[in-house]
Amino acid sequence: MRKLVARVSPYALIGACAGFLYHAATQIDFHRRAGTIGPDVWPKLVLGLMIATCLYEIVRVVLSRGRRGGAAGVLQDMVEESEARYGGGNVYAGAKSPLLLAAGIALTALYVWIVQPLGFVLATAPYLAAFIALGGYRRWGVNAAVSLIGTLAMMFFFMKVVYVSLPIGGEPFAQVTLALMRLMGIR
Amino acid sequence: MEVLQQLAAGFLEVFVPANFAALVVGLVLGLLVAVLPGLTLVMGVVLALPFTYTMDVTAAIILLTAMYIAGTYAGAWTSILFHVPGEPIDVPLLWDGYAMARNGDAAKALGWTLIAALVGGLAAATVMVALAQPVARIALTFSTPEYFAIIFFGLASVVSLGGSSLANALISLFAGLLIATVGVDDTYGAHRFTFGVPILSDGIDYLVVMVGAFGLGEVFLRMEQRFTSMPLQSVDKVTTRLPTLREAGAIKGTFARGTLLGIVVGLVPGAGATVASFLSYGIEAQYGARKAQMGSGIPEGIVAPQTAATSSVGGAMIPLITMGIPGSGATAIIMGAFLLHGLQPGPQVFETSSHIVYAVFASVFVGVIGMCLIGYFAARYLVRILELPEVIVSAYVVMCCILGAFAARNNITDVWLIVVFGVVGYLCERWRFPVAPMVLGVILGPLAETNFMTTMISFDNDWTVFLTRPISGSIMVLALVTLLYPLLRHLRRRTRLAAT
Repeated sequence: MRKLVARVSPYALIGACAGFLYHAATQIDFHRRAGTIGPDVWPKLVLGLMIATCLYEIVRVVLSRGRRGGAAGVLQDMVEESEARYGGGNVYAGAKSPLLLAAGIALTALYVWIVQPLGFVLATAPYLAAFIALGGYRRWGVNAAVSLIGTLAMMFFFMKVVYVSLPIGGEPFAQVTLALMRLMGIR
Repeated sequence: MEVLQQLAAGFLEVFVPANFAALVVGLVLGLLVAVLPGLTLVMGVVLALPFTYTMDVTAAIILLTAMYIAGTYAGAWTSILFHVPGEPIDVPLLWDGYAMARNGDAAKALGWTLIAALVGGLAAATVMVALAQPVARIALTFSTPEYFAIIFFGLASVVSLGGSSLANALISLFAGLLIATVGVDDTYGAHRFTFGVPILSDGIDYLVVMVGAFGLGEVFLRMEQRFTSMPLQSVDKVTTRLPTLREAGAIKGTFARGTLLGIVVGLVPGAGATVASFLSYGIEAQYGARKAQMGSGIPEGIVAPQTAATSSVGGAMIPLITMGIPGSGATAIIMGAFLLHGLQPGPQVFETSSHIVYAVFASVFVGVIGMCLIGYFAARYLVRILELPEVIVSAYVVMCCILGAFAARNNITDVWLIVVFGVVGYLCERWRFPVAPMVLGVILGPLAETNFMTTMISFDNDWTVFLTRPISGSIMVLALVTLLYPLLRHLRRRTRLAAT
């Protein structure tokens, strides 16, 4: 039963979201011109097909009692048949760590949140160091060097070569960025 | 004759220092990306895109195209030497390439790969140049129903090819089409799915979806696996020994089949180097003269997938340049580069900017030769990038994703969006929803909607026009067959299983 619920829930969730968006599509405000279709038709068509696909998959999963095995893409079949015959290359070996994943996403979100108030340099160097450490790299000296040099190199390239105005940060952090910019000859 | 003149001018353009530098950088980056198992070819091209913002359009397209070509080649090195496919394209190279290396002839296996990439790449480039103008002339006669039918076919083939579930691929595609509708509608100026958020009024840039789903999503996936990979076997010395002309001549049929198949597969929207590579190996294993020995380390097993993979690039460039329809992730990004520089690929481009088109065509020839030269002399140095800790590479991939999204509009909201799409990309992989249909849906969605709406307005809301016009009708039927084929195959297999 739990397997069945687990298999059905993504489709139920997507179907429900599609239903909500279909309702939102019916509320699109526009002046209809006589004899022409409006801007709501295309999204409604797409959402209708999406809901139908979700319903089909839910019914299929329920009828097959949670087993996988719906129609697969042609390539998938080709790959699976060939790998079963000749063997595939094994690239990845690690055990899964959802906690590490959550930490990685949180760290990246934190970086995006602080990059504007702190400025690119002050936010990026610690972010890179933390990301590398989080990923299990334990040579601290190399980590620090890679993070710092990489940050300065990216700052130089994007601000001096391709003229992207990266966030310099608010006061007092902006002073650090501005000092570094002067040092690198970035105007 | 006129084509040859334009191609000659294109060659001159390629050797302009800035363009040539872009070509070399693109080739080296493409080779490095292909070698690293954590980075895919599409991801590499996505990450390079922001660096081309301030470049001249010709140099930008040359750089990305060079990465695309080189990305189909260098992954073979790690397949052959370490039994680690750098790209999904290179999985078939494990079966005979690695077997040949284990039989003590790794240098020869690398030599066969090089020759296969060279022959496939140059032959496909020739076909691309020969076919581009005639296809563009035909495309000029198309009206909106035909364009809609072609896009529909492209989307149908993406769904029908990829993923472990047809339903999941369809849902992914619909999600992409829906994302493309967010923002202010062009015709009526109506707000669609903006929910009062001002930044959504401008719509969601497909670059953000691509960078997030392909780039960040992949990093999150690897992070969950703690960035741990299988330990690499030690290889003393990486050298390449080319086969003799006589040896190559003995399997000319394999070269021809692989090249032809690669071009045809490249032409089909949604297919690409991976499909070409697997299909070509499969055909060789079924119909080749030495089919019984496939998998034991014979040259046919290396040449078939490699020629097909590299020649698919030439094929894939044809619909992109002549009709403005990208059929794969990599060509979608190249189309993005065209658009970023204010150039719309399509039949008109041969009249308005033929010098750019032919410079790109010429760069494919030069790129294939350059890639093989770099491969011959520098493979031993390039494979050393595998010694770099993956977590450090991934940290910089994340930074490239973030900077790429930020640089496009100088807007931090785009950066938030790539984090969101990174999580979406991860969830897609986790729940077995293929990402490619979603991305192609975002890219082709506006084109599909515009052509659909224009057709409906022009033909008094008569939807049967898509089926009653000869060309659009034929393409629509082909698209429906493509879409239904996996379902019919599945039903037939189930019936056969039930019978036994």
